[in-house]
Amino acid sequence: MTDAPLPQPDLVAALPRLRRYARVLTGDSARADDLVQETLARGWEKRRLWQAGTDLRAWLFTIMHNVFVNQRAQSHRDAQTVSLDAATEAGGESWHVPVPPQQFVRVEVVEMIAHVGRLPADQRETLLLAAVEEMKYEEIAQVLSVPVGTVMSRLSRAREKLRRMADGEEAPSLKRVK
Amino acid sequence: MNTTTITDDDIAALADGQLPADRRALVEAAIAREPSLAARVADIRAQNSLLRDAFDPWLAEAVPPRLVEAAVPPRAVARSRWARAWPAYAVAATLVLGVATGWLGRGFVLELSGTPTTFARQAAYTHALYSADQRRPVEVWANEEAGLVRWLSRRLGYQAHVPNLNSIGFALVGGRLVAGNEKPTALVMYENAEKQRLTLQWRVSKGRGGETEFRYAHEDGVGVFYWIDDDCAYALSGPLDRTRLLQVAHVVYGQIMAAERAPVPGSAPAPSAPGAPATIVPGPAGSPTEPPKATISG
Repeated sequence: MTDAPLPQPDLVAALPRLRRYARVLTGDSARADDLVQETLARGWEKRRLWQAGTDLRAWLFTIMHNVFVNQRAQSHRDAQTVSLDAATEAGGESWHVPVPPQQFVRVEVVEMIAHVGRLPADQRETLLLAAVEEMKYEEIAQVLSVPVGTVMSRLSRAREKLRRMADGEEAPSLKRVK
Repeated sequence: MNTTTITDDDIAALADGQLPADRRALVEAAIAREPSLAARVADIRAQNSLLRDAFDPWLAEAVPPRLVEAAVPPRAVARSRWARAWPAYAVAATLVLGVATGWLGRGFVLELSGTPTTFARQAAYTHALYSADQRRPVEVWANEEAGLVRWLSRRLGYQAHVPNLNSIGFALVGGRLVAGNEKPTALVMYENAEKQRLTLQWRVSKGRGGETEFRYAHEDGVGVFYWIDDDCAYALSGPLDRTRLLQVAHVVYGQIMAAERAPVPGSAPAPSAPGAPATIVPGPAGSPTEPPKATISG
């Protein structure tokens, strides 16, 4: 009976949040769903490591973050994909996520999605977990395997950049070239 | 502790509602004295709110069936198949997302024009009729669940699966048979601690094949998510907002799919041993055609 301790209904219920996190990480809908699938597969493999009663969402986010980081490290070693990945990291270039039909949303919302796409991936994910998922800073630090201080500084930088972009201080076309 | 030093982290934590109680009074007092600090807190809160407005609608999108499947069974065979067919599925995922996004738009249109399909509208009316009934919302109560399942299965000519929604706070009230357009429709009702009632209705509807999509309609304050799999049409109705109702729909869908695959009655998730026999083909087109023997999962 204890062979499959992952609570299946919770896992299914977590899918929309997993997809959202994956999209924010990858900036690409199709790649995001591949990432979700890989995360679920790892989750089943590691299911014995999950402790019943703890936050399943945070546990799955941790797996997803690690899968993403490993995949990215791997593709950096692959010369052919370096340029694509560097673009993702700089943000913007490969940010192909859906924006709701214009007539249904405010302009600020559309702009916000675009602005978030121009943040570095580590700031994007930290911001999502804190502001949208409303996770505790300590939980975020665990998910990302960084000290709480790093969470706070990423959050602060992300918010400052968003503020500057909203104020038009940072030109939309600005792209840092490495 | 230095009462005059308010750090950036204090400001962020206050705005995010994460400032420890022992520090909170101090920071709030400082903010009351210094309008520029108050403005920074307000800025962060406005930004958070805009971020949620931007990213929360993604939660209401239809999840591709392949991901729901990946969340259901631990199945070694399926995994290796996925790995081999990866490029093809990547293409399929793109297509599914396109369709899903299209359907999201369609959901809006349906919602605005008030003309959901017959099935969704009927489900909403039936839900409104019975969920408002205090004394006899159902014909067979949850304490006779096994009998309810047998009855509904016999009348529909299709093995019924009554999802268990306890883990998301909804307990089974019971069920009944209701008249459909051409075919009898099964109805089961759930209720949470706030006395909100959900109904799941389904009837046999020979599949049109292809992808399962969740579609949304809204009728007189009742939200309905409805979908069709290979054998049945389902409608989940209730007074929840769209996002929450969709989350419940995912749970319902996942359980029904798991129950239809389970080879052994009664037991929850499918065998997880690596060598467990698994012959069911994963993927958009492949859903088991064999009548399921299992009754209730969870």
